[in-house]
Amino acid sequence: MKRNYFSTGNFVLSLSLLLLILRYDFVLQIYSLLFEWCSLLLSDLLNALNIIDFAIADHFVSALLIIIIPLLVISLRAKKIFIEPLSYPYTIMISLIFVFLFAPLITKVHPEFQKNINVTKLLPPLSSVKVVHLNDEGKSKPYIRFQLQKNKIIPGSFNENVLFADSTKTGDDVVYYQRGDEFLISKKRVASIDGKPLITSKLFLLGSDEFGRDTFSRLVYGARISLTVGFGSVVVAFIIGSLLGFIAGYSGRWIDTMLSRLTEMFLTVPSIFFVILILALFGNKVFTVILVLGISGWMSLFKIVRGEIISIKKKDFFISAVMIGLKRRDLFLKEILPVIIVPVVVNLIFQFGNVVLAESAISFLGLGTGTEYPSWGSMIDSGRNYLSEAWWLIMFPGASLFAVIFAVNSAGRKISSSINLLK
Amino acid sequence: MIAKAVIKRIFYSLVVLFLLITFLFFLIRLAPGNPADKFISPKLNAELVHQTENSFGINEPLHVQYLKFVSSVFSGSLGISYTYRIPVEKVVLQFLPFTVFFALTSFLLQIFCSVLLALFSANKINKPVDKLLAASSLIIYAVPSFFTGVFLIYIFSVQLNLFPSSGVSSFGNESFTWVERLIDYSLHLILPILTLSLSGAAMFYKYLRDEIEIEYQKPFVRFLKSHGYEEKVILRKHILPNALNPFVSVAGVELGALLSGAVITEVIFGLPGMGRLTLEAVLSRDYPLVIGCTLASGVMVIAANLFADLVKAFLDKRTLQGGVLQ
Repeated sequence: MKRNYFSTGNFVLSLSLLLLILRYDFVLQIYSLLFEWCSLLLSDLLNALNIIDFAIADHFVSALLIIIIPLLVISLRAKKIFIEPLSYPYTIMISLIFVFLFAPLITKVHPEFQKNINVTKLLPPLSSVKVVHLNDEGKSKPYIRFQLQKNKIIPGSFNENVLFADSTKTGDDVVYYQRGDEFLISKKRVASIDGKPLITSKLFLLGSDEFGRDTFSRLVYGARISLTVGFGSVVVAFIIGSLLGFIAGYSGRWIDTMLSRLTEMFLTVPSIFFVILILALFGNKVFTVILVLGISGWMSLFKIVRGEIISIKKKDFFISAVMIGLKRRDLFLKEILPVIIVPVVVNLIFQFGNVVLAESAISFLGLGTGTEYPSWGSMIDSGRNYLSEAWWLIMFPGASLFAVIFAVNSAGRKISSSINLLK
Repeated sequence: MIAKAVIKRIFYSLVVLFLLITFLFFLIRLAPGNPADKFISPKLNAELVHQTENSFGINEPLHVQYLKFVSSVFSGSLGISYTYRIPVEKVVLQFLPFTVFFALTSFLLQIFCSVLLALFSANKINKPVDKLLAASSLIIYAVPSFFTGVFLIYIFSVQLNLFPSSGVSSFGNESFTWVERLIDYSLHLILPILTLSLSGAAMFYKYLRDEIEIEYQKPFVRFLKSHGYEEKVILRKHILPNALNPFVSVAGVELGALLSGAVITEVIFGLPGMGRLTLEAVLSRDYPLVIGCTLASGVMVIAANLFADLVKAFLDKRTLQGGVLQ
């Protein structure tokens, strides 16, 4: 058999390698930070545990995973999921999971970072600005080594030691221009390497929004929200739908009638109204969004599980299994589960696509996961106000949303058509 | 026979609807927040706030409130909207005509386009044209409607400046003649209807096309062909009625969703429909209006599903015995 080099395993490997090559210095920095933290852990346990927050843990985990995942793929390369030929849905799903896990490595810019808005606002894609790095000598607070290094690595939403400028000129003092205005800054204030002032340039890969925030970085962190809400809600929908469906199908009679009417009730009102109602009334935390989207999406799963169970109960193989006297657990694991698992999985895949769509729709309406994190839907919503000047604000989130939903739908269709062939 | 089944069906639906508004009633009352806060500053005068709350009837025990609510629903009034200060029915009736018109136009457009395209590709299954249509329908279906809307505005309003980007009529359209007014309205509604219809049309097309493909593979088609029936006759008389059956149920669900208001399209284009009314009612905690909107959309969904079932019964008389209308 011809070996397929475009397999999922190789794709994962090449993505991780690419990321490692592009960001090797950053990964090393994180590892040295991790090392500092471990030594702190040994000397001062309480402080070390206090110091850790989500951002640091996030960086640590992604730095560890970027090494572990390729090793894992290499050691398990013979497994079926890693030699699957690469197709569009796989590519998108793997990239999405990659972005989810390695968001801090992919972009070093905090999604909410804003400074010198007059220079950085509404920049088109691929434009860059000059960055003047300032000395932080002015403050002589006694930083411990960990904190110093942490501040270098973990991106903040604000950095006072950075100045953005359209162009700079170095004479006795450093002169920089912001939107045509000239500013002067003493050389002492500017950080320097070998006597030359440290002036770099920052690339806005996908442009910036009205507050000068980096669109690429927001897109990457927005993917996290979509994926979190998607997975969470699918789990909630799975638990509610399959449990109720199982109860209704298995016990029949009045319980079945009652649960079916309940489902009908949920189906009567379009789910978006239900979601809006709950979020508007009870607030829109990430957890609430997950729960509500899960609760509004279990009905189709209920119908599938209930229908399958009812039909299984009449089948000969099930009746004979009961006659033989199999235990309940075995009945469930060996007779019911293999039959219902495939339609349930297909349903959950489609449900995932629906939830990602619904999450961005409610973010678009301003009821999404709040202002804490950027979401693709809210990015499109805010981009709406700058349509005439900044097409990139809506195109990139819209395109990524489309790519994900299309990938999920085609994956679901693929699986369901392969089942239909089996039948 | 049909009448009895329909009445039974409507009765069940009404029971479901009643349970729904009961559920909503308690949900809204359980939520934090108070409509009186919107009208009066709590710092002003505690007594005044209390009076306002009393006038809304939200200080009474929950079961008393519920009984009052139920009796008022059965006597045909839903109360007075807190925001609009007129009876809820009147508010809903102000917004309903637009939604019904908007939804029906979009729905008919969706059905028309999808059936036409599906019939077009029916005898070209798996030929390049059909594959191209199927692929593009999948692509269009995967584009979120809010992105479609914003994208259409970007292309047609911002770049090409062909259509207005929001509202239903231009400023000062009272002075227009009726022809101008008609043109004005339709110019305003082209983009919203396109936004609302694109993904639905794509979905319907794909659905119908797949059903037709499945039907074509069935033995009875080969039998008819071997007996020398024309392709056209087979398609019209034998394949379509079978393929349309599941299509109609999907269309019923879609019609119900459209009739209860297209929130996103209405928000993007600033249209005065039920979707935006519901959104505003929820956000401003206008309790009676929320119930009124839900009731209206519930009735619409039930009516649409009933209509779909009747169409199905008309297409296939067996469903009457099969118990679909129950």
